[in-house]
Amino acid sequence: MTASMRPDARAKVLGQLAFGADLEAPGMLWGALVTAPAAHGHLRSVDLAPARALPGVVAVAAADLGPLLSGRSGDPERPAFPRETVTYRNQPVAAVAAPTLPLAREAAAAVRVVVEPIPAVSDVEAVFPDWPGSDLGASPHVAAHVLARRGEVDRAFREAGTVVRETYRTSSVHPVALEPHVCVAEVHDDRWTVRTSTQSPFGVREDVSSILGVPEESVVVDGAWVGGGFGGKGASFVEPYALLLSRAAGRPVRLALSYREEFLLGRTTLPAVVRMETAVTSGRIVARRVRLLLDVGTSLPGRDFATGYAIGFLLGPYRCPTFEIEGYGVRTNKPPFGPHRAPFAPQCAFVVESHLEHVAREVGVDPLAFKADHLWHDGDTTALGQRVAHFGLPTALEAARGVAEEWRRTAPAGHGVGVGLGFWSTNTPAGGEARVRLTPKELVVVQGEREIGTGSVLVGLAAVAERRTGLPRDRIRIEYADTAHAPYDAGVFGSRTVGALGSAVDQALRNLLATLAERWGGRSPVTLGWENGAIVARAGTARRPVSEFFNAAESEAGALVAEGKHYGQPGTIDESLVVAGTFYPYTDFTGAAHVAEVTVDRETGSVRVVRYAAFHDVGWVVDPLSARAQVEGGVAMGLGTALTEEALWSDDGRLLNPGLVDYRIPTLDEVPPVDVTFVEGFLGAGPFGAKGLGEPPIIPVPAAIASAVRAASGAHVTELPLAPERVARALKSR
Amino acid sequence: MRSARAVAAFDLLTPATAEEALSALRSAAPGALAVLAGGTDLLFDLDDGRLASRTVLSLRRLPWRTLAWDGAALTIGSTLPLRTLENDPGVRTRLPGLYAAVRAVGSVALRHRATLGGNLGRSAPASDLIPILLALDAEVELVGPEGARTVLVDRFVQGSRKTALRPDELIRAVRIPEARPSAYLLQRVRPFHDISHMAVAVAYSPRRESWRVALAGFPPRPILVPEAGELLRGPRPSSAEVVRAAETAAQLAPIVADKRASEEYRRALVKPLLERAVRACASSGGAT
Repeated sequence: MTASMRPDARAKVLGQLAFGADLEAPGMLWGALVTAPAAHGHLRSVDLAPARALPGVVAVAAADLGPLLSGRSGDPERPAFPRETVTYRNQPVAAVAAPTLPLAREAAAAVRVVVEPIPAVSDVEAVFPDWPGSDLGASPHVAAHVLARRGEVDRAFREAGTVVRETYRTSSVHPVALEPHVCVAEVHDDRWTVRTSTQSPFGVREDVSSILGVPEESVVVDGAWVGGGFGGKGASFVEPYALLLSRAAGRPVRLALSYREEFLLGRTTLPAVVRMETAVTSGRIVARRVRLLLDVGTSLPGRDFATGYAIGFLLGPYRCPTFEIEGYGVRTNKPPFGPHRAPFAPQCAFVVESHLEHVAREVGVDPLAFKADHLWHDGDTTALGQRVAHFGLPTALEAARGVAEEWRRTAPAGHGVGVGLGFWSTNTPAGGEARVRLTPKELVVVQGEREIGTGSVLVGLAAVAERRTGLPRDRIRIEYADTAHAPYDAGVFGSRTVGALGSAVDQALRNLLATLAERWGGRSPVTLGWENGAIVARAGTARRPVSEFFNAAESEAGALVAEGKHYGQPGTIDESLVVAGTFYPYTDFTGAAHVAEVTVDRETGSVRVVRYAAFHDVGWVVDPLSARAQVEGGVAMGLGTALTEEALWSDDGRLLNPGLVDYRIPTLDEVPPVDVTFVEGFLGAGPFGAKGLGEPPIIPVPAAIASAVRAASGAHVTELPLAPERVARALKSR
Repeated sequence: MRSARAVAAFDLLTPATAEEALSALRSAAPGALAVLAGGTDLLFDLDDGRLASRTVLSLRRLPWRTLAWDGAALTIGSTLPLRTLENDPGVRTRLPGLYAAVRAVGSVALRHRATLGGNLGRSAPASDLIPILLALDAEVELVGPEGARTVLVDRFVQGSRKTALRPDELIRAVRIPEARPSAYLLQRVRPFHDISHMAVAVAYSPRRESWRVALAGFPPRPILVPEAGELLRGPRPSSAEVVRAAETAAQLAPIVADKRASEEYRRALVKPLLERAVRACASSGGAT
């Protein structure tokens, strides 16, 4: 482990790296989207003529697609543009391109879109006023229904000593990457090329192929330095439109969303309502019932992933013998549900942690002792039947409790200290492949992802290569390639990069070292080093330049190449417990315990976070500086979810705060110092036992803040975010 | 090169004298010209394409970046950057309410560009500067083809984005008649870099032995509540007086709800903010 300056830091500080937003191509046109003027309605007409009448303007919409694509058609369920019905306000219905952006915008505004409105659905509780307690299954508004239970739930509740019931509400949050969605597309003959700012070049390729009906081998996606992802750039967005425009124009087309469009068109994690019911006897949880009503926007029925994914977080990392969990994904006239760092996990952790703390207080036991008593330990089985192993959260919680106790002793009067827990699953089955190229002077890792800012690609993969080979970091280079040249990888999301792609890199390196060992007459183990200006293979005390092991072809090519792949095993759940729907099988658990100290203004409800400590189960710290930065950044982002961030939707599906004035992300001024502690040794499935760390740092934040607010003021807030007005209301209703 | 093409083209006029500026203003068709006095608000409109004007008249070369004390009176040029105003030792000690209000505006970087004239000219309901100017009985100096005129800020600000400024006039300066113990307190969702959803400005005039109370943060505009000021007596009003003033202000002010806060919450905020503001004001002493 060596702490080091990020290799991209200097160039980024000096403004020398080309982000997606810096992309351009000679002779390119500028694209703009024409969007639906109503949240729901019959699309009667899209008249492109006024746009086309402007000099130099190219315009495309649904009706134009046939000729453009030579009769090919994409997935009928996800057309680039709607044909008959618009399902959310600002849904793209056409696109235009022009020699300048102002002209493109003028042309977009000139397109006449006629929509015959149909009543729109926005508030999930208004759609289902009888929830919970009624079967919503047959409603056309339901995109997904999941239900699982174990044991005799009703009886357990009837016979329990105490039953606590509460309702929680969480807000819609936006990833707010500083760089908007942006790409430059160029179509020549049958080659559809797009350079784009993305967390998943191969995912974009798949989407473009599916949406446009172009074979995957004809689509080439090249990444760029990503100006922030946070979950929002994991799938295609602007690329299909830009490609269609380029196809129509015969020229490269740049399409970037304005920041206002980022909000208006963007995918957000949408609001949810959760009903929590917990039965306790003699200080032990005997049964739980959890009901979730999740707004999934215009996600398609049968394709909603969020509901089954989110609901598993609502039992928390706690043992529970008898339970019933039921979730409905509700379709509304909002943009489709979109991921936001650890999609829905911070919201779920807020609900679980706040509720269990409330339950503990109601039955008169110490909340942290209550949680520790029920926390998963190695060897336990989760509610849905998954084995818990190498789980560092109990250790992290013990450390956090110690700090919390010390802070409580030393905090000034009026301050409150709270603790929140969260768990995560970091070894998704989403696979990755990598190629390594060993030259006499450097080791090159060739792969298909771009660095999105976390360091997981640029630093994480290099750290794995350093540890596997022994070669110093400055002799290891990460090479990016487009989808036509790079090995496949699923994407930089799900905290999977170091775990999954890193495992593929590690496999490639082990293959490389095995080849060297074999060619060295079976000497083992072989490692690499940098000596006298050349890379040498080492075995015991023996040293030989690696070039001596190259065969004729390799000598001519100047490199020895090896490949590796990693496709994780999907987790399994006990299907006998599942009554309806699909639950997400979490694997390779990790977790974090956070401690927050806050002050609460009892008259205005304002919350200030004074200090913060985070304890993370990471398996192995791959790179200390990057790991620490991930936690600090995750806490800062989580403070937004906890305290200020909330996309506001009107009853007719209008986003009321499409910008950074009224959608408030934290500023540096209110992010407190964050003490970061890593719990190592509970090894995960990644290289050398690494566990993902991209998402876990945001998960416990709203829970820890809510706990601290309650400790400071007595306010029990059951809605996110804990904005001053909500805290003031909770204080008043105490 | 690209950024130049990302915003609709406009002509930028940078006159060096008031006469040139007024002449440019006079010759422009209605709505065709936007006045730039810092640009921290105007640029949003330019970037979003909401601004139809194809000509922008920048005031930055005009000799109005001034700050002048005349005894207890302070005259602030309309294009003086807020950061300069904030850094003036006299403002900090003699006009603590103005100092606090200036510091509530945006970030340091933004205050290096933003101006008092721009803030008044744009006249946003959540302006942090207008309420304290109301409490300080400030006047706006306007120049137009017929010469200069002076208008009380209370008369100048007419509504959300509406002022008494005539199309052929410019804001030259703001005059605060006397340094007063004063305070400005605001409530916002995010503790920094955010727009207020309730704000209270108070000032005590030792000369006239009277208080001014202004409320802001809700549409359509910041307002004076004279009835609340009249309930406060002397440099250190009693708690009972402050409570009555707060109740009166909360009751009389035309407070409404919007997406930033409910009416009920806003009214409930008047009392703590006013109490704290009066306390801060009283303890800031008679530094004049």
